[in-house]
Amino acid sequence: MPIPSRLPAAAGVGFKPQHFADIIGGEQPIGFVEIHAENYMGAGGPPHAQLGALRERYALSVHGVGLSIGGAAALDAEHLARLKLLCDRYQPDSFSEHLAWSSHGEVFYNDLLPLPYTPETLARIVEHIDLVQTTLGREMLLENPSTYVTFVDSTFPETEFLAEIARRSGCGLLLDVNNVFVSAKNHGTDPTSYLAAFPMARVKEIHLGGHDEQTDDDGAPLLIDAHGSPVADPVWALYENAIARSGPLATLIEWDNNVPAWPVLAREARAASDILSRAAAAKAA
Amino acid sequence: MTKNSIAAATLAGSLAAAFTMISIASSAPAPAQPNADKCYGVSLAGKNDCAAGPGTTCAGTSKVDYQGNAWKYVAKGTCATMKTPKGMGSLKAM
Amino acid sequence: MTAAFSAIQASFADALLDADRPVPGALTLQAAGAPRKRFAVYRNNVIVGLVEALRAQFPATEKIVGGEFFAAMARVYAVTQPPRSPILLHHGNGFPGFIEQFEPAAELPYLADVARLEIARTRAYHAADAPTLDPSRWEGLDPAALVGARVTLHPSLQILRSLYPVVTIWAMNAGDAEPSSIEDSGPEDALIVRPDLDVQVRRLPAGGAAFLHALAAGASLGDAATSAIADHPEFDLTANLAGLIGAGLATELHCTPTPKDIAP
Repeated sequence: MPIPSRLPAAAGVGFKPQHFADIIGGEQPIGFVEIHAENYMGAGGPPHAQLGALRERYALSVHGVGLSIGGAAALDAEHLARLKLLCDRYQPDSFSEHLAWSSHGEVFYNDLLPLPYTPETLARIVEHIDLVQTTLGREMLLENPSTYVTFVDSTFPETEFLAEIARRSGCGLLLDVNNVFVSAKNHGTDPTSYLAAFPMARVKEIHLGGHDEQTDDDGAPLLIDAHGSPVADPVWALYENAIARSGPLATLIEWDNNVPAWPVLAREARAASDILSRAAAAKAA
Repeated sequence: MTKNSIAAATLAGSLAAAFTMISIASSAPAPAQPNADKCYGVSLAGKNDCAAGPGTTCAGTSKVDYQGNAWKYVAKGTCATMKTPKGMGSLKAM
Repeated sequence: MTAAFSAIQASFADALLDADRPVPGALTLQAAGAPRKRFAVYRNNVIVGLVEALRAQFPATEKIVGGEFFAAMARVYAVTQPPRSPILLHHGNGFPGFIEQFEPAAELPYLADVARLEIARTRAYHAADAPTLDPSRWEGLDPAALVGARVTLHPSLQILRSLYPVVTIWAMNAGDAEPSSIEDSGPEDALIVRPDLDVQVRRLPAGGAAFLHALAAGASLGDAATSAIADHPEFDLTANLAGLIGAGLATELHCTPTPKDIAP
């Protein structure tokens, strides 16, 4: 029986080394930190020194960005072994990855790439998740992606695809509300309907982040999941609605590009924390 | 030991002298490293993880790759202003 | 069935790194118009992401050639030698060799060595930790034992021997300092080490690289000193021992038993 994901229902931040002194230096409005697994696969040095210190004070989420769960090929056994080493070393409260692929052939493309949602790809992903959960001995959370294109071959809506993966593999889900908004706007669909159809009972963590607004060749909106700005107002609104339905859940602020000074990121975390408190109060009432 | 090898007494003498050198310099960085330069001692645009190198991201980017043709570019960084006796700091074209 | 999935990914993957290839036909779009810009988001993410990762690892190299040139050079590298591992810090390993063959950079013969120094810094940053040897361990050693003694060097320690003044050029471009004249354009050997949490870059004195290389290969102190003198007649044993001990380059000292130790 894999160890279940057990992050606290609090706000968290994606950890950046430049914020280390601030995060360790005083009381912060966060209950957990999240790291990208692939940045902690060296043998030692400051990354591990910092992670060890963070682990003593906060709950920890390990978020993989390179396993290529949605790849047609078999998972990279060496990479899976490295993930196991990291999880064994730090005993994180959660491990998550993406409904996406990033490797094909011998090449790692360093992006979260989309796939068709078909019975065939479903079966492949369930196999991969089984292997991850068996190897790590932990429940895995699977995150919904931001997409810019869809596939003619797809036979499942994304929400149904994720629900079926979770049902068959027993994995949990990571709901990225910004990704919901970005994909919906890019494909001309309704983010509220998407959230209404999302299997919230499986969700163990939420991601929030900023996006960039552009337009495509036809002048239609093209949103980029850039994580380089504050969380947008409509995303906050969607988040508040989702939380009102599910009750408080661990909520991460992601800010990966144009990383701001700590107080700016802490302010975003506090805003999430306030929404979580309101949801908890409403639930208690 | 061959006759070219260093004598034990020489080595022991050097070690003693080395300790004297270290104790004299104990409040300063170790001697014999004139260009001692520590990561944190160099200001690298506000980064304190200056040696960390590349990090991953799970985000897209709003920066645009202009697909510039490297062959058309001329290096225009400090190489244009660094002066070396053999002229290897700057480009011939400059 | 898996062949179909694999084929879709193959055509997607091929079009990511080659903008001349058509957008994969298996894609559909909400708007009927051209899919180029939407697919281009992925192309852009991949290329910009890889170029930015190289930029983060090679800041001095970038400063020397300028941002525009660096981005163009890094782009060619990323497309022709894309990463094979999801751990991006390894992707830069082939960059110095690429720079050496990169025609537009041919007039900067030292550039590849500056990039090598920056790789050594990344490696040192992520290398295994090890406590440095307490200097008191060197005290009271019998001269004969000292000649036969061996050391274990710190796991982060790396040596870069260059035909160019690589440390001087790197130091001039690593901070905010304005580049100035380089008086001595002779070769320099760099020592890159991280005894605690800070990566240090030092210029090795004459023969220092040969001395440390010999020690790293398991030579005794006496033999390492002999090799260093052979490498460079101006090798200063005292200064190099002071560096070895004072800079915390060793983690272990192994002394072979001397006759005095064995005697009852």
